[in-house]
Amino acid sequence: MKEEKCKVSENINIKGKYYSMKIETAYIAKKSRPGNFVMAAVSTASDPLLKRPFGIFRAAPPFIWLYYEVVGKGTELLSQKKKGDFLTLLGPLGNSFPGLENKNILLVAGGRGIAPLFYAAEDYVSRNNLFLIYGAKSAADLNLLDKLEALNMTGTYFYTDDGSAGKKGFVTTDIREIIETQKIDLTISCGPEAMFKSLNGELKGLDVENYASLEAIMGCGFGICYSCAVKSAAGDYKKVCADGPVFRLEDIEW
Amino acid sequence: MVAGQKKKAISEDMKTKQKFFGAPLRGGAIRGAGTEKKEHEQNLTGSAGAKRVGAPHPRRRQEQEKNDLSADLKFITLKNPLIPASGTFGYGEEFSPFFDLDILGAFVMKGIYKDPRPGNVPPRLHETASGLLNSIGLAGPGAEALKKIIERVAEKTSTPVIVNVCGADDEEYLEIAQVFDAMPEVALLELNISCPNVHAGGKCPAQDEQHTFRLVKLIKQNTTKPLIVKLSPNVSDIVSIALSAEEAGADAISLVNTFLGLAVNLENRKPVFNNIFAGLSGPAIKPLALRLVWEVARQTVVPVIGIGGISTGRDVLEFILAGASAVQTGTINMVEPTASVRILKEIEVLMTQLKIKNLNEIKGELRI
Repeated sequence: MKEEKCKVSENINIKGKYYSMKIETAYIAKKSRPGNFVMAAVSTASDPLLKRPFGIFRAAPPFIWLYYEVVGKGTELLSQKKKGDFLTLLGPLGNSFPGLENKNILLVAGGRGIAPLFYAAEDYVSRNNLFLIYGAKSAADLNLLDKLEALNMTGTYFYTDDGSAGKKGFVTTDIREIIETQKIDLTISCGPEAMFKSLNGELKGLDVENYASLEAIMGCGFGICYSCAVKSAAGDYKKVCADGPVFRLEDIEW
Repeated sequence: MVAGQKKKAISEDMKTKQKFFGAPLRGGAIRGAGTEKKEHEQNLTGSAGAKRVGAPHPRRRQEQEKNDLSADLKFITLKNPLIPASGTFGYGEEFSPFFDLDILGAFVMKGIYKDPRPGNVPPRLHETASGLLNSIGLAGPGAEALKKIIERVAEKTSTPVIVNVCGADDEEYLEIAQVFDAMPEVALLELNISCPNVHAGGKCPAQDEQHTFRLVKLIKQNTTKPLIVKLSPNVSDIVSIALSAEEAGADAISLVNTFLGLAVNLENRKPVFNNIFAGLSGPAIKPLALRLVWEVARQTVVPVIGIGGISTGRDVLEFILAGASAVQTGTINMVEPTASVRILKEIEVLMTQLKIKNLNEIKGELRI
């Protein structure tokens, strides 16, 4: 974990509100593991004050990539960064996805939740049978399809709420059937809270391990401010930044 | 009460001590009819930048070329005025990956109650223009767990550790104060009088002169370590609260805690926070805090520790100019974990630029 002044190598508008940023960062790129995140200083002024958390989308030293959606002032500023601009990052932060071999793994991505799962997919694909369910609101929110294709996963399933791309439906629509027919050992998911809620319901009672990478509004990113608390199933609070962002799905109260 | 009646003396020995080793120091032992502050003021009146006539720190005069960043709090001399504040610095050890804790003047542990506390129901954070509102709810592991943490942290650093003492009533405040008063690893206690009180309808001691006086006196009569009393800005007359704390025996005053604010959600027409109000901190509050520090520092005899949006070396010197003997940094530590390193460098550069040899030269020297 280090605060590092990095250089933006490229900042590409993929489509609509979605961007991919390549950042040169010797330390973070070398130290990061799939599941880790960074805090990015979107402004050098005091407004906005807080760094923004982003799950690492890819890492190949000395570079990391972020995949992000412009949702507010912070990400708007990030989208305006140009090649050669400096960007202070804090990272790598948080825990990572489990190390796995010879498993049937199902990745479940909702919207921009694809970012950390792409990093996991690159890591897992050669040593496991890898499957992906990827859902979003509409075709405008379903990106990176060519890159996902290039990974040659064992199976991919795409959904949109409105049917404008892939199958009309949600990530949970066929999940039980996929788990059964593909003999899935474990799921790893990342997406909005509503997705986790329904996922938790769908997966209950199935003999699979479930990991979830959570998104949260954060103050510090390294466990000192207690702002990103989520309630655990046991009733206490967990810090998404320092206890997570990866949790057992059933360990969180949904 | 007249502030001038309670001038404190300090032995030459204590003054030159760079480090406080946690030796029991009864408030009374260092009180007397000394006039150090007055002499000091006379030496410097209207002569910022001029050669000093007297030399209150003979040992330091030898280190001519080096800027003297030491901060004299009368009961302890810190190596510099920078103290990360309670709740923004974890338990210190979280910052070890970023810098050596030894560079700090001191640091304050996250506020502690007797029992573990889960903290408030989220959301707990809302960003505002150049600041943030928080409603964490003093989440913490409880006093017994903190003792173990302090033992661990104190092994890694010689920087004085300050414990921020909380309580839902006076009895809990006292119990916590005594627990940490007994720890040799703890240098100072800071009394967080902004805790909602169960016997006062959720009102905190900081909002009431009598309660502040009663509580501070209770703690001072039953503990031995120097006591800093941390004030809330959410009062109509902060000076009278400060003077109550001082009269009750506070060894220093730190101010300010967060300003109560409100964030609303226009879409669902509800407050953002479950507790409706939350505490505002960050650069946005700096001018408000600076004003209150100036008002309090010119009325109190005990040292004042300035807090409120401090993010740069310049901010630190501004607070000292307004009368603070040391400062606490808060929100900036969450935003930029290496901020302390940068701020100390900035102080050194500014002192050289402005020809400030030691911080006492400018302390309270705002020209009105």
